[in-house]
Amino acid sequence: MGIAVAAILALSAVAFTLEYAVSRVVNLAHGEVLTIGAYSAYVGETNFHLNIYVCALVATVFGALTAMGLNLFLIERFRDQKPLSTLIATLGASLILQNLLLIGFGGASVSYGFAQGSLLHVGPFLWTTLTIRVIVSAIVVAGMIYVFLQRTKIGKALRAVAQNRSLAQVSGIPARSVVMRTWATAGAVSGFAGFLYGETIGTITPSIGNGFLLLSITAAVGGGLGRPYATLGGALVLGLVMSIAGTYWSSAYQLVIAFGFLVLMLLIKPNGMFVRGRAQMVRA
Amino acid sequence: MLQYWTAILTEATIFAVLALGIDMIWGWAGDFDLSAYAYFALGVYMTIVLTIGKPHPPVSYVLGLHLFYPVAVVLAVVVVVAFASIIGAIALRSLREVYFSITTLGAVWAIYYWVENYTPLFNGYNGVYGLFDPLGGGMSYSAYHYYFFAACLVILAGVYVVVTRLSKSPFGRMVRAVRDDEAAASVYGRNVFWAKYRTYLFGAGLAGFSGALFAAYIGAFNPLDWRPTEIFVLYAAILVGGRGNPKGVILGSFIVYVGFVELTRYIPSPQARPELGPALRQILIGVLIILMLKFRPSGLIPERLGTDGTQVRRTWRTLFSRSARSVDEIDVDNSVASESEVDA
Repeated sequence: MGIAVAAILALSAVAFTLEYAVSRVVNLAHGEVLTIGAYSAYVGETNFHLNIYVCALVATVFGALTAMGLNLFLIERFRDQKPLSTLIATLGASLILQNLLLIGFGGASVSYGFAQGSLLHVGPFLWTTLTIRVIVSAIVVAGMIYVFLQRTKIGKALRAVAQNRSLAQVSGIPARSVVMRTWATAGAVSGFAGFLYGETIGTITPSIGNGFLLLSITAAVGGGLGRPYATLGGALVLGLVMSIAGTYWSSAYQLVIAFGFLVLMLLIKPNGMFVRGRAQMVRA
Repeated sequence: MLQYWTAILTEATIFAVLALGIDMIWGWAGDFDLSAYAYFALGVYMTIVLTIGKPHPPVSYVLGLHLFYPVAVVLAVVVVVAFASIIGAIALRSLREVYFSITTLGAVWAIYYWVENYTPLFNGYNGVYGLFDPLGGGMSYSAYHYYFFAACLVILAGVYVVVTRLSKSPFGRMVRAVRDDEAAASVYGRNVFWAKYRTYLFGAGLAGFSGALFAAYIGAFNPLDWRPTEIFVLYAAILVGGRGNPKGVILGSFIVYVGFVELTRYIPSPQARPELGPALRQILIGVLIILMLKFRPSGLIPERLGTDGTQVRRTWRTLFSRSARSVDEIDVDNSVASESEVDA
């Protein structure tokens, strides 16, 4: 697990936590939004010969569309049900999307044909221009999310809806539309993260979202589910833990390490390490 | 044709036992457990490595004993329950509902990748194989399968009797009371964690037991052919049949499992696209889960409890009545209560 993957994880986890914040839903189809982003960029590159920036944009747009579709056709329809029912429904959605991708693109892995870039020495480390590009764009997107949440009207409305949807609604905030726009934002970030991930690891399969969903969940729950900045912190700590562990164990055990981290966090501080206070019981 | 039906119905029978185990945890105690696959797979693995004898390199696995099959089954279930007692203790101590589910989801994938990559345990992604005719009767291949199917039916009937008795016992009612209102149940002196934990161990034990049966049926197991998503069909089956109702769960398992195998048998799977059939099958399962949750969350034969906590006698009429959704309305109240707890 390199620093590039940690940066992508931060984006993916923040998107995941934003979805939870406004809809109180653990979206198990989140991984598939990333995968769809990665594949749409692949189609753009191989079939339409678009350049790398346009491909990134395509991934972003398709990620946003997928998340909006999920919200419109699934999450909003399950609003009158328990969060657990919605979770099971998103599990169904994840099965559907993943297997649609399998039918569309086959199970064999594909990869982008973009130039991999050259090697650079920065400080004591050896970097590729690809890694630097990924890290810089992740930081830029994270900054954009910060501005979006803190400085824009919609970001303020988002935080209000996240705290209490009905109260926001009676205060004149169009909650439905705010939720929809949050999903669009989260989907766009996820689609972009999926594109970066595909570029970093070099192989795309319909099931790459699986592992990344688990890492995103771990980061979000470890930091504080539904809280963007706490989640960001959680993702960075998880990235650090996995980088250190990755030097001793094979990367095949990545998810095992992540799960160990999740269990540790849940036992020590079940409501998240960057959240004040300690919950006796967390149920969401 | 007869052999084909025997094969499908045997699988459906074994999976009905597994579904009963999952349903104890999900239906009775209300904890949506995604790690049931791990208990099933561990049951299969343990049974195989306890009966096929020493590994021959390059194959490698633990134990490698040559035990009598029923002894191996008992040991496998013991190992599964011991293992579930660790996962359950972590997941049930201070986590509920969504947090419980994602913890078990993390657990199942972590275990999956570990088993796949750590070859000394169960031979990695190549899996273990070589169990056939576990009782050593020396029967022909087809005769063995007929007898095995009959044995599975008898076992399912036995499991059904035990589970139903347990479901109607004070324990079964207590677990449901805890599910519907933890605070009230604990005020009345019930130990919430202990109730859920015991149900979890029972359910995991049943899942391990069905794995042990499955081991005798297919004789081989590997993580590539049996991914955790393979048993999602059972979650759909439980939803179709009716959560918390053993009769409904068995009905659902047979309808959904046999239905899916039969439906997808006629989907052409061209040589170049072998993944087409299974993928369509998984899509149908996803659609079924969503539709059932949305339109009939309590299933074909809903669990219904009388005001005094005793099970009301059901008739076939409930299959078609709209009042079957009443369980759902109770759930809505709970969600309001739990949301306010989060804000606090």
